[in-house]
Amino acid sequence: CIVQCFLSLAVFGRAIHAIARISDEFWFDPIEKGLALRSVNSSRSAYACVFFSSMFFQHYCCTAVSQPCQKEKQLSLPCKLIIKSVLPVFRCVNVLERNVEKCSISTSPSEHHITFQLLCRHGVVKTYNLTFQECDPLQAVFAKHMCPNVLKVHSRLLADVMIHFPTSQEEITLSVTPMKVCFKSYTEEDTDFSRTMLTEIQLSPEEFDYFQVGVDSEVTFCLKELRGLLALSEAASVPVSVHFDRCGRPIAFSIEDLLLEASFILATLCEAEKEAASPEPACCPQPWDR
Amino acid sequence: MRFRAKIVDLACLNHFSRDIISTIAKLAKTCILRLTLSKLYFILSDKVANGGASMWCELSQGNFFDEFQMEGVAAEHNEIYLEFVPENLWRALKTAQSAKAVKIKLTNKHCPCLRVAVELPSVSSSSRIVTHDIPVGVIPRRMWNDFREPSVPDFDVSIYLPVLKTMKSVVERMKNLSNFIVIEANLSGEMNLKIEADLVSVTTHFKDLGNPPWASEDGCQSSAQGRDLESMAEACIDIKKLQQLLAGQQVNPTKALCNIVHKRIVHFILLHEEVSLQYFIPAIA
Repeated sequence: CIVQCFLSLAVFGRAIHAIARISDEFWFDPIEKGLALRSVNSSRSAYACVFFSSMFFQHYCCTAVSQPCQKEKQLSLPCKLIIKSVLPVFRCVNVLERNVEKCSISTSPSEHHITFQLLCRHGVVKTYNLTFQECDPLQAVFAKHMCPNVLKVHSRLLADVMIHFPTSQEEITLSVTPMKVCFKSYTEEDTDFSRTMLTEIQLSPEEFDYFQVGVDSEVTFCLKELRGLLALSEAASVPVSVHFDRCGRPIAFSIEDLLLEASFILATLCEAEKEAASPEPACCPQPWDR
Repeated sequence: MRFRAKIVDLACLNHFSRDIISTIAKLAKTCILRLTLSKLYFILSDKVANGGASMWCELSQGNFFDEFQMEGVAAEHNEIYLEFVPENLWRALKTAQSAKAVKIKLTNKHCPCLRVAVELPSVSSSSRIVTHDIPVGVIPRRMWNDFREPSVPDFDVSIYLPVLKTMKSVVERMKNLSNFIVIEANLSGEMNLKIEADLVSVTTHFKDLGNPPWASEDGCQSSAQGRDLESMAEACIDIKKLQQLLAGQQVNPTKALCNIVHKRIVHFILLHEEVSLQYFIPAIA
């Protein structure tokens, strides 16, 4: 049975919302060191993982469930939750922190329930019992340190860049050389230019806290999936790191501090290839589900 | 054909985007931009696709642009007519609120475009540049006659509009009850807005609005002269069109009036210091 109380509801709520952009369901994976939430989309082109260390919570307790028939103690398997059932709990993140005094999550594997309990003002208690499915673990392996291109910047800058694109913009292209960085609307060969408005933003490398371009590259990825991470990064006030390579190889957006780490790994399109890419992330020999 | 313009003054930029372009974007999905040496015109002609409504908006470029250069199709026809989606221009300018400069240029990369380049301040020594390519259609010379300035109709009543904010909130509530609204007014400064639904009919009365004096051009009698002061001229129009017109008005115009041709058309004229907007809504048969 695992019990946690949050330090920051707003951050946790934003993490749920960010993951919701990837898929309808997510993996709830508590371990001794903390709680991991993971998600992958149906086409396997986007993967998100948010890990809250035990310090993120006022109280975190994750006990191993010993199985008498196993040779060794084993933590309970991760479980899968339908995100739509969790979203209402954290619907209005801004309002949450004002009204909710305490929030706790507990699991009882025997009942196949995860219980979210919000203790609100005026003695109101909201309890959500959500069923989960047991499932195989989900993990992407992506060697960030092997990426030749690394950018690090405060989320505010990325948000200021994204605001120039319409909310309906699906994909954007990030193009880098050692001299400049450019975000632009993605166009393909058969784009009808007479009907499409194209936007391009040019930035100087000086605007970034860290700028390393080992190889000139132009990668196209899904903007919609990224917006959630930007909101989370803003709420947590943690800068965003971008690791990427040539087109076709995945791009990783991540944030990291003492309390939480989040990684959003997105597939990128490659112009050279004729077929639309749905590539496995680099260095991921095993399939998503084992 | 060439066109290049630049706005450096933030107040002019905000006035242009927030008050003019955003209004045009609410009234027309696509419209014509006519460029001359001294003026810009936004024109919506009364085709069936627009529901018969038409628009003529005119402004002097000198009031907004710090630089403005234009070369039309030919020396004797030194004008450019472009068809474009005003919502695109609104989007491009919307996020330029803190810009150091905005440049607009007519280009032809993949197709004719208005390229809007916004120079934004940044922490580094070089500015951030945001470029938007807005596709446009060049209107050939032979079609220019379709977009002439509409003449003021031979109206029955001309009257100043009530305070637009009040009129807007009245019309917005009425929109929930009916698709059509009747505007009626007389030469005694009285105007009524009426709607009729199955269960209810609502009328809002305005008084003491005043009637603008129109000098008759060639001394002959217009329909308005010699007319009974109390008699109402009315037109039943699409309420959504009226609501769109009012919704776009952020700032109170210097003058706002409408001319009603009984059961035919309502002609709205909104005059601001630097821009004039005329909007024609035909009456529903």
